[in-house]
Amino acid sequence: MLKTLISATVAAVVAVAGFAGTTVARPLEEIIKSGTLRVGVNPTLPPLAKFDEKNQIVGFDVDYATEIAKTLGVKLEVVQVGSPDRIPFVVSGKIDFVMGAMTRNPERAKVIDFTLPVHTEVFGILTTDAKPYKDWKELDNESVTLVQVRGTTPIKFIADNLPKAKVTQLDNYPDAVRALAQGRGDAMLDVVDFVGEHMNKHKDVKWKVLTEKPVDVYYCGLGVAKGSTGLKDWLNVAIFELARRGKTDAMWEKWFGIKMLYPTGVGPAF
Amino acid sequence: MSYTLQFGQVWPHVPFLLAGALLSLQIAFLAFCGGLLIGTLGAAGKSFGGPTLRRGIDAYVVFFTNTPQLVQIYFLYFALPDAGILLSSYAAVLIGMTLNAGAYLTEIQRAGFESVRQTEMEAAETLGFSRAQQIRYVILPHVARVLFPPLSNQYILMTLGTSMAAIFGVEELTGRAFNLNSQTFRSIEVFSVTALLYIVITFFATAILAVMGRVLFRARMRII
Repeated sequence: MLKTLISATVAAVVAVAGFAGTTVARPLEEIIKSGTLRVGVNPTLPPLAKFDEKNQIVGFDVDYATEIAKTLGVKLEVVQVGSPDRIPFVVSGKIDFVMGAMTRNPERAKVIDFTLPVHTEVFGILTTDAKPYKDWKELDNESVTLVQVRGTTPIKFIADNLPKAKVTQLDNYPDAVRALAQGRGDAMLDVVDFVGEHMNKHKDVKWKVLTEKPVDVYYCGLGVAKGSTGLKDWLNVAIFELARRGKTDAMWEKWFGIKMLYPTGVGPAF
Repeated sequence: MSYTLQFGQVWPHVPFLLAGALLSLQIAFLAFCGGLLIGTLGAAGKSFGGPTLRRGIDAYVVFFTNTPQLVQIYFLYFALPDAGILLSSYAAVLIGMTLNAGAYLTEIQRAGFESVRQTEMEAAETLGFSRAQQIRYVILPHVARVLFPPLSNQYILMTLGTSMAAIFGVEELTGRAFNLNSQTFRSIEVFSVTALLYIVITFFATAILAVMGRVLFRARMRII
């Protein structure tokens, strides 16, 4: 028993020391020299990343990282990360950068650095052509029925900001989008990009996404460790090139089934 | 287990849950009444109708008692719109439960009808009862007494069965519990309070039905 305890303690200490020992992120030249780019991908966010039938991680993020590695002339190593540990992975230098809807915000930017945005996500309104809405604020009305997925964050947002609207809560996205397609509700409030594949299943429906006045737009970049300026600058150039040559859009359409709803506005200067 | 129960987050929502429970009772009551009507007609048709009618009723009963109620409501809710019939969540659930109840109640009532023995009818006839009197004084008291207990059971089952409405966005007791759970993540507290409410509802319904059964129909039922 004591022996087990000691060995466990030793193992823990070694693990902590090992963790502490690799706190330095690799500079660009070291990545090129090693021949491998290590990218953190979160497979719980389809279609950004998910496991396929062969248990391989695939998705927009994997394709994008592959393209980045190809541009750099190195091999790609996909490292599986989760939502709570993905930032520690970058900070400790276990990965060179992290993907997975890394919305750029000031809180995160205190801990890690961000590149230019790779893509956007629109927290907005999905509705159909037949409905007159122009602005999400018009939905705060007793005559409006919103179809939402139970347990998702927009529910709270609606309770706080659109208290007059009626809400029908269903259990999953396919059901909710189908209910909307069948005319059981007027609109849906969510991150619309991720609903694309379900929208495409109802081809006869004239979908409309209110992109002029969305609730919010999230800009998602690549997350790198603080101070790895050389890597970040190179990634910015690569991101601009991929966007300029239409590769980003093509990958987005391949995985999301729809065009990116809101342009990132990535330009040559940064 | 180091879970700290926090009912404090659930108590303020009890009125919200109770309003949902009222809707559960409403759905169960309406579906039961509708089902009883279908069941009476179905049982009468099966007992006294011709072979074609009997076969038709059989097909209906077999279909609805051999498929899950959830699938039946799913069909009404998601498949019918493709045929141009758009039912609201509430209507789809109510119609689904009514049709389902109708099938079960047809079978239950048919058994009740058949429990009236030929000799009883002959005795009534010998005593000079008219057809109306036979129904009023012989068939009905007999059938009611035999049928009341299984009908009560069906009613309780249907009250619990209304929880299926939650899946279709009807905010009855279970639907409201789901919503509350997805907001508070206090699953143990939310669902134990919900279970308690169901127990209270069915407990009172059982007691009331048992009193009714004993007083009105001299059915052999235990109260509590």
